[in-house]
Amino acid sequence: MNQDLHLRFLRDMLRARRLEERLAQEYAKGNIGGFLHLYPGEEAVAVGVVAAAEPGDYIVSTYREHVHALARGVPMRAIVAELFGKRGGCSGGLGGSMHLFDAQRRFLGGYAIVGETFPIAIGAAYAVQLRGLPEAVICFFGDGAVNQGTFHESLNMAALWKLPVLFVCENNHYQIGTEIHRHSALTEVSKRACAYGIAAQRASGMDAQVVHERTSTMLAQVRAGQGPQLLELETYRYRGHSMADPGSYRPAVEVAAYTAQDPIGAELRELALHCPDDATLARLGLESCSALAARYVQAGHLDTAALTRLEAEIQAEIDDAVAFAATSPEPTLDDARRALRPGVDLATLI
Amino acid sequence: MSKTAVTLPVLSDTMQTGRIIRWLKQPGDTVKRGDVLAEVESDKAIMDVEAYADGVLVGPLAAVDTDVAVKSIIAWIDNLPPQPTAATSSPAPSPSAPPQTPAAAPAPTPPAGATPTPTEPTSAPPTAVVATGATTSPVLAAALAAREGGGAASPFARGLATELGIDLSLLKPGTDGRIGTAQVLAAAIGPQLPHLDLGPVHRIERPTPLKAAMADNMQRTVHTPTFHVTTALDLRAIDAAAQAAHQSFTLLLAHACAQAIDKHPDFNACWTPGGLARRERIDIAIAVDTDGGLITPVLRDAMRPLAELAEDWRELRDKVARRRLVPADYTGATFYLSNLGMFAAVEQFDAIVPLGSAAILAVAAPAHDGRTRLTLTCDHRVIAGADAARFLATLAEQLQATQATIK
Amino acid sequence: MSVQNITYWQALNRALDAEMAADEAVFILGEDVGLYGGTYRVTEGLQAKYGDRRVLDTPISEGSFTGLGVGAALVGMRPVVEIMTVNFALLALDAIINMAAKIPFMSGGQFHMPLTIRMPGGVAHQLAAQHSQRLEHTLMNVAGLRIVVPATPQDAYWQLRQAIRADDCVIVLEHELLNFEQGPVDESAAPPPPHRAIVRRNGRDLTIITYSRMVKPTLTAAAQLAASGIDAEVIDLRSLSPIDWPTCVASLRRTGRLLIVEEDSRFAGAGAEIAASLTELCFSSLRAAPVRLAALDLPTPYNKRLEELSIPQPADIAAAARALIGANPEENAA
Repeated sequence: MNQDLHLRFLRDMLRARRLEERLAQEYAKGNIGGFLHLYPGEEAVAVGVVAAAEPGDYIVSTYREHVHALARGVPMRAIVAELFGKRGGCSGGLGGSMHLFDAQRRFLGGYAIVGETFPIAIGAAYAVQLRGLPEAVICFFGDGAVNQGTFHESLNMAALWKLPVLFVCENNHYQIGTEIHRHSALTEVSKRACAYGIAAQRASGMDAQVVHERTSTMLAQVRAGQGPQLLELETYRYRGHSMADPGSYRPAVEVAAYTAQDPIGAELRELALHCPDDATLARLGLESCSALAARYVQAGHLDTAALTRLEAEIQAEIDDAVAFAATSPEPTLDDARRALRPGVDLATLI
Repeated sequence: MSKTAVTLPVLSDTMQTGRIIRWLKQPGDTVKRGDVLAEVESDKAIMDVEAYADGVLVGPLAAVDTDVAVKSIIAWIDNLPPQPTAATSSPAPSPSAPPQTPAAAPAPTPPAGATPTPTEPTSAPPTAVVATGATTSPVLAAALAAREGGGAASPFARGLATELGIDLSLLKPGTDGRIGTAQVLAAAIGPQLPHLDLGPVHRIERPTPLKAAMADNMQRTVHTPTFHVTTALDLRAIDAAAQAAHQSFTLLLAHACAQAIDKHPDFNACWTPGGLARRERIDIAIAVDTDGGLITPVLRDAMRPLAELAEDWRELRDKVARRRLVPADYTGATFYLSNLGMFAAVEQFDAIVPLGSAAILAVAAPAHDGRTRLTLTCDHRVIAGADAARFLATLAEQLQATQATIK
Repeated sequence: MSVQNITYWQALNRALDAEMAADEAVFILGEDVGLYGGTYRVTEGLQAKYGDRRVLDTPISEGSFTGLGVGAALVGMRPVVEIMTVNFALLALDAIINMAAKIPFMSGGQFHMPLTIRMPGGVAHQLAAQHSQRLEHTLMNVAGLRIVVPATPQDAYWQLRQAIRADDCVIVLEHELLNFEQGPVDESAAPPPPHRAIVRRNGRDLTIITYSRMVKPTLTAAAQLAASGIDAEVIDLRSLSPIDWPTCVASLRRTGRLLIVEEDSRFAGAGAEIAASLTELCFSSLRAAPVRLAALDLPTPYNKRLEELSIPQPADIAAAARALIGANPEENAA
């Protein structure tokens, strides 16, 4: 019940939510190209997990990674500029939405191939182990990735060598348009871990506090050398798989049910003294954040001014980031060539 | 290695290719040193290809009737004792009884691998085991299949020919079977090519080696400045005397020429940019007409007594008849004699001075006045008109003297 | 240090040993590399010397253990991944092509990829289709990878060490049949640049470009050709990406004739790039179209005779050279 922690969660999740909404707009305006995989609904996972990470830990994420990068401290300007394909982007404009990297913050990408985060994570973990450092590697992946061969191979090796990896499954129940019961024989991802002797837990990914608590406990054990662990977090994405996908394969009832569990709403509830009743919750949605906030303000549970200031700050940060991205220069072909093998001059090798 | 290569012999310094006329031995035959393996036609003659080792002839044999570069390998002699039977027996090429020219493809034979004692691992070609109908391995076939045929011209040659307006189809390929820059350049700076497409439909017929050589040799004389001097002599008495003594009239002419040359040494010289080449011996080439074309056997040291010359001449004529002339027999003459006197219709003619000499004497048939026109064509870089006149005068005297010595 | 006559696998072993000793960031991983010493003996003795963490036996998980190498390289290690044969690399192509070749680029140059991936490949003795592949063309086409193809023990020693020291991803393509070839190795000699081609034999009449296992039979064929008056220049490429074009061009400008001898299969094989590029670079010097002598476009048959027929043999090399010169290719040169 750490008030500061909850405020931090609210702040980060609101930043994430507002940013993703803005990115959708920028995509529609044509400033962002290619694939754009948005995160609304899942914010508690990235924010809660990354908040539990130490600066010395490594993070490996998927193509739905903007919020993971943001939570890790990658500047919003760098993220937006990267999506705009500009030189000021965290990957120099050469990676895009699916390939955000930040060496300084130990953010190891950003992968478009489902299942690639596993081997990368155990590789980084192996290095940590070889060096004997108390660091951990957090490996994000979705429910679809657990059927890729690399999941099994990598969990096996992680367990075999007791690598310091926390495997975090963001189970949003969908592999693009295929619901989990249609893609997996065993739908409880955490149950798969026992095949490799890996300790696993399952929790709600809609509550940042729960996520954070579980992650902190497991990470401590992982860093202590007790071997890898797996945390399955049940979550939901409010939008389609990507901008190109309307997500209409999901029943409206299901969407509504998860919308009711909006993690931001949950945060707001925590910050309030009283929770709204079930009937009221049934009508909650994206707009309900503001509505709920208004109700809390009316009920005197929340400081309007603080929330308004928060929203305003976030808006300013986003506007600034977009403006930065818009004016950032384009990368050149020379930038691209140098990035191919940084620090290696081919001409000297022949 | 336990095998000896049989290569196409070089029959002259200008010979680039030869053609195998027939194989006298087949793969699997035991051969001894000195055995004749094949007959090869050069630009002038047919030569025997001898075995230089004892052993068994092993293929693949080079194809007959195809131009083969000199020094290239045309067969092998396996020095090991012949194998009993089994896989190494000859894959029975069709020409068994008459050693006629078989099909264009060389007889498929078990090459080196036939001997079960491989020397180095790399030299035992696994393809040898596959003595299939095709002689090339599939890997090799794939490598060569996609290429343009051998008659093509190199890209540079083609481009050059287009720029210079040269019709590639009129050019003779080089020794590699393709038209290269050398051929195009030679055509560009050489004699002009006719525009055959302005006339009736034509086809190009490949010349025999003899005809090709004649064309080449004559082409090369284009830059020699010449003039002719003719004299008319009554040679009926000499002719009659020669016939009565069963001597060759041509030989007598040659002998007389030698005597004249001896007194007029410039006629034994030859022009070079550096100066006159003076030869120490008088070698007279005598033009002979054969079925295949013009050939010029050479009487060496024509100053020798007539009896010796007659013997040499007889041998030479024999070789010509058997097409066994070698380069040593027909090259290097210092003076040329051409006698068309046996053709009654020829009243007078002048010949072309070949490279390597300064003059040629053309002898026609006796005219209606009973006299024979002898025309001396001379290289004006060596000989002047008066020299030629004096030579002919001397020659006339010599002929008279020769007549007196005929028995 | 003096020159020693050792085998190719011993040269690789010494290279690994030297790099492991010099830098703790270097570690080896792969199937049976540790306790077993490597199925081709390349890592023999190294686990005993450096421990089972730095010489790591992996499960059969090519995709993931190669990816492990990528991850470790991202955070500053210098992994040397052994993929037992190039055939199994197909399972690791995601790690090689999607990760190793691309992460430095996609990260805008933030991350280096000091990863070495060793794999022997090629046709051996009747190992059949799935164990006889040549995938150099697949890897050549991937920007972000470098590929070295040592043909001699000396080059194996040099080029593996250079690969490990490199900060980008280098593939060392070995050949099973080269492993027991002996050759002189001078461990203290200064190496040439890793991708420089070497003229193994000077010649006038044609340029033969080859690499890896085909170098030796090509030199044998060249000696045979010399006996019949054909003087071949033989270039050992030593590298398939990048390719030392200047050395090739200098030779081809003089000879005007190009024969490429490769064990890769013909269609879109390694030789296709070489033929295309050199034709573009030297067109006016060419006296004939290049000849590519390559393996058949066929999975490798188990049958011994057919296997031999499917790849260039020494007799083919000499015959192809003759055909290129314009002589009768059917003349037996063996």
